[in-house]
Amino acid sequence: MRGTLTIARRELASFFAIPLGWVATALYLFLTGGVFSLMILNPSTAATMRPFFAVSAWLLLPVIPAISMRLFSEEFRSGTIEPLLTSPVSDAAIALGKYLGALGFMVLMLVPTLLHVGVLAWLSDPAPDAGPIVAGYTSLVLLGMLYLSIGLFISSLTSNQTLAFLGTLFAILLLLLATTLGADRLPEAMRPLLYAAALTPRIADFSKGVIDTSHVVFFVSCSAWFVLLTIVALQSRRWS
Amino acid sequence: MLSVQGVHKSFGSIRAVRGVSFEVRPGQVVGLLGPNGAGKTTTIRMITGFLPPDDGRVMIGELDVSRESAPARAKIGYLPESAPHYPEMKVREFIAHRAALLGVAGRERKKAVEEAMDRCQLSHVAARRVGVLSKGFKQRVGLAAAIVHGPSVLVLDEPTNGLDPTQVREARSLIRDLAKDRTLLLSSHVLSEVERVCERVVVIAGGEMRADGTPSELVEKTSLTPLHVVECARTPDPLPILRMVEGVADAKLEALADEGWVRVRITPRSGHRDLREALAAAARGAGLAVRELSIDRPSLERLFAELIERPVAIGGGAGAGGGA
Repeated sequence: MRGTLTIARRELASFFAIPLGWVATALYLFLTGGVFSLMILNPSTAATMRPFFAVSAWLLLPVIPAISMRLFSEEFRSGTIEPLLTSPVSDAAIALGKYLGALGFMVLMLVPTLLHVGVLAWLSDPAPDAGPIVAGYTSLVLLGMLYLSIGLFISSLTSNQTLAFLGTLFAILLLLLATTLGADRLPEAMRPLLYAAALTPRIADFSKGVIDTSHVVFFVSCSAWFVLLTIVALQSRRWS
Repeated sequence: MLSVQGVHKSFGSIRAVRGVSFEVRPGQVVGLLGPNGAGKTTTIRMITGFLPPDDGRVMIGELDVSRESAPARAKIGYLPESAPHYPEMKVREFIAHRAALLGVAGRERKKAVEEAMDRCQLSHVAARRVGVLSKGFKQRVGLAAAIVHGPSVLVLDEPTNGLDPTQVREARSLIRDLAKDRTLLLSSHVLSEVERVCERVVVIAGGEMRADGTPSELVEKTSLTPLHVVECARTPDPLPILRMVEGVADAKLEALADEGWVRVRITPRSGHRDLREALAAAARGAGLAVRELSIDRPSLERLFAELIERPVAIGGGAGAGGGA
């Protein structure tokens, strides 16, 4: 789709040209570094990255809305949405380009944490099992994909970045709570749907080192739905 | 050619644009003139494909902007009001990014970017971030980004809004230069800008078209009469002498700081546009010393005020689609 990569490239570069990108990365790496030093680099425990993945999954909760809040909201606020939407590229290319740019940034944010894996492998004997580590990173990327797609959609609804941040955080928390604590308290008819949408059991499977194709399909297709909703939101702006 | 054909646009109960029609022929520079809130930006947004019209259509050459949107948009260079930009990007990066989005092929992009920067005199700031530039430079960056793909139609929304007088002069000169080889539509609420840059004016107010023609045509066809100004000696009393001239409807005296001199403003009767010779002859005959005699022709400004107050049917400008 013409224009997608151009938009993705600009979006990715913009995260490194503004303080937000560096601050989000620094905080994430500082906190995960702390977890690694205190919980993993402990001679009395088994050589596993599991605590890192568990904490990282929770850290995505504030980090992803911070990344996604500016995707469209900033374009609306500054007026750059006008030259963008009047360029000869489709709304789908614009939404997908922004999504891929933000996803690229999130993946790059995870790259320095591979150092933890290297240190753990160097210090421990026997070396940690590769399966759970690969599955753990896969789960982080998939979870980030879903959260980012929700953030992309919500940022396409408002020109206020704070609202986009809070809206995304609230939507993700709602999804997590409704499919866990809420599922047992809601009418029985709704339970199968909520259990099917639950994220935590799927992430738990990944942490065991299992990459279940159905889980991958779930995260990818849910993300695709939210990107599609973003395209619809962009088109409805033109017709409003 | 740009052709706007009876476009309408409403936002809820507000009818922002009502049946606006006009054409801009290749190479023409047309000003879309109107007060704030007249519907200029909405009209421009329909032309550039940002908003679809509720009714009517916009054609860029043979392409309908709503139906064949992407190819039509590729032919338009657009600078929205306040020249939105990405402040963190460097000038060259920003223009190259726009070039890529506007479909300039990779191998031609570098040349196109350098040419656009040269044209807009940006080469010396190419490596600076757009966000740190002055407003005048940001405007030039927006213009360079709008022309980088060589569009046949250039649309500028209030291009000198918020600039200081020097920047306004520079921007106008640049716009005149850019207009040499393309169709240009410029919106403004500043009359002097339209008068200096545009060869034709479309006046829009309250979402409707009020007039379409060259500035001189519009002034000529209006009912406004040219005021005559006479600066003469205080004695003999100039009012009875000048009021006697045939065609004078009214004469008013104004005091001047110079002792012994006054200014008389004369309103001619309808159909009497130039009374200078008759006034000079009357003054000479009565022994009245005159040191200045001139016509204060109705400016576009006076016409504009009249047009936005009430609809006046003035049309027939080159390529005019009709006025209301």
